[in-house]
Amino acid sequence: MTYYNNAVITKRELLVRLIQQLDNDTLLEKIDRIPLEMRPRTNSPIRCCVHKDRAVIKYKIMALLGFNIADETDELAPLRDYAEQALKGYTQNGNFLTVVDEACSSCVQVNYTVSNLCQGCEGRPCQVNCPKDAIMVINGKANIDHQKCVNCGICQKACPFHAIAYLPVPCEESCPVKAIRKNADGIEEIDFDKCIHCGKCMTACPFGAISEKSQVLNLYYNIKHQSEKTVAMVAPAILSQFKASSSQILNSIKAIGFDEVIEVAEGANMTTDHETQELLERLDKGASFMTTSCCPSYIQFTEKHAPELKPFVSDTPSPMAYTAQLAKDRFPNYKAVFIGPCLAKRSEAYTNENIDYVITTEELGAMFAALKIDLVKTDITQDLDPVVRPESRAYAAVGGVTNAIKTVLSNDHQLKTELIDGIDKKSIRLLKTLAKKNVSEAAFYEVMACDGGCINGPVNVAPLKVSQNKLKKAIQEIQPEEAVI
Amino acid sequence: MITSIKYKVQICCGTMCYIMGGAELHLLNESLPSSLKNKVSVEGIPCFGKCDKHEKSHPCVLINGQVLNNASTQKIVNHLLTIEQNDLL
Repeated sequence: MTYYNNAVITKRELLVRLIQQLDNDTLLEKIDRIPLEMRPRTNSPIRCCVHKDRAVIKYKIMALLGFNIADETDELAPLRDYAEQALKGYTQNGNFLTVVDEACSSCVQVNYTVSNLCQGCEGRPCQVNCPKDAIMVINGKANIDHQKCVNCGICQKACPFHAIAYLPVPCEESCPVKAIRKNADGIEEIDFDKCIHCGKCMTACPFGAISEKSQVLNLYYNIKHQSEKTVAMVAPAILSQFKASSSQILNSIKAIGFDEVIEVAEGANMTTDHETQELLERLDKGASFMTTSCCPSYIQFTEKHAPELKPFVSDTPSPMAYTAQLAKDRFPNYKAVFIGPCLAKRSEAYTNENIDYVITTEELGAMFAALKIDLVKTDITQDLDPVVRPESRAYAAVGGVTNAIKTVLSNDHQLKTELIDGIDKKSIRLLKTLAKKNVSEAAFYEVMACDGGCINGPVNVAPLKVSQNKLKKAIQEIQPEEAVI
Repeated sequence: MITSIKYKVQICCGTMCYIMGGAELHLLNESLPSSLKNKVSVEGIPCFGKCDKHEKSHPCVLINGQVLNNASTQKIVNHLLTIEQNDLL
């Protein structure tokens, strides 16, 4: 998965500009200028013309303000109107992705195209073998009739010159559960009865046409005006995302204006203990296996696509849920803000009344950048929480939950475990077979929707290899000395 | 054969540079051609203030002390190859 392209940079630049304007109290008067500033008149627009480019920016801002693009009723409504509503807070509906239709529609309807390598041969195997009679030869070159083509791909295989190319639709191809499809106008639409909020379509689209509905402006407005006290709950994966020590990252988050900061790894301690207990009980009662419950995208997958797996999923609350409970116990009237690398956590938080906001690594990075908080120069005012176990921070990478449970079990139990590293078509087949057969080689399955685990989440800022190294360091920071080998 | 470090690549780790593509640059070693392998050191440094003056210069990188704006892995490699060429002449 590659995150680094201009569409990603555009999104981050938008976030930084919005937060900067909000911080300078100029958001309402200047927000409608952002499309003009970011897309000045030029001879080389990205799309057909500068006006289209600006419209795309406008709708991307609308999504970042937390709105569904399809809900627009008046095309003339300025961004200022949306910003005003966003600052007051808005009602959510549990769906956290939206298609920026102005940015979409560029992808092909028919996945096969004849390139200029076509030699117009006598044999014409493409035409002869097409089951739908969709190929005509015009001026010595094959042409595909889009009305007739059914995307079977036989022509591509038949052509000896490799003249027929396959053009993917990246978002559709990346979706493991076929939740994104074109509507009658050729624009992608997300079916939320199927969507598991894994975020793969969002990172796959090179037009940046799929956006998440953000809460960050509403949150920062409240922090800035201190209308409510906030407690930040920081996922372990966040510690892998910036070039600074864990205490510098946690203190920098406090410097944004959060009143309290707790690590979600603290909740992970509780998840580990509870889940280990649950696993032993289930195996005693004769269950053939159990899967993890901490990945919200996997949980949505079992609910929407594989109800037969549900009985095998652990009932243990996720580290976020435990941490939110801790937060509410310690700071009863504070708003709880989860900061993590995950899109699906937004929907998990939506159903959890203890969590008020979810923001992502990208949004956190944009806040640091907009407020000019330099992580390595931040004063350390709060020490690391000694109760956090090293294994709990390791939850952020694939294998982390398994390792934490094995550590608790010690050597008395020989537990056979298996990792499902990334939800894709292949692992979906495997999971469904497991549930159907009700027998399995391993007793414990750790399922992560993102391959590599949370450190490879869809809204992260560091590439996987950098995050892996950084996470190791974050774990070592709290490693008790005798444990270091 | 022992080769010493000839080129020092310093990547700005200020958050703006970092989120605007700087994070990727830390994988520079993987993209170096064999002629440059083992001759380049890569390190992160705190913000050195270039992005404040020029908008849209991020990510910034220092190569042997010389600033390279809007850096990408390919731009850095090309730059290194050019100075390597000049050094050999």
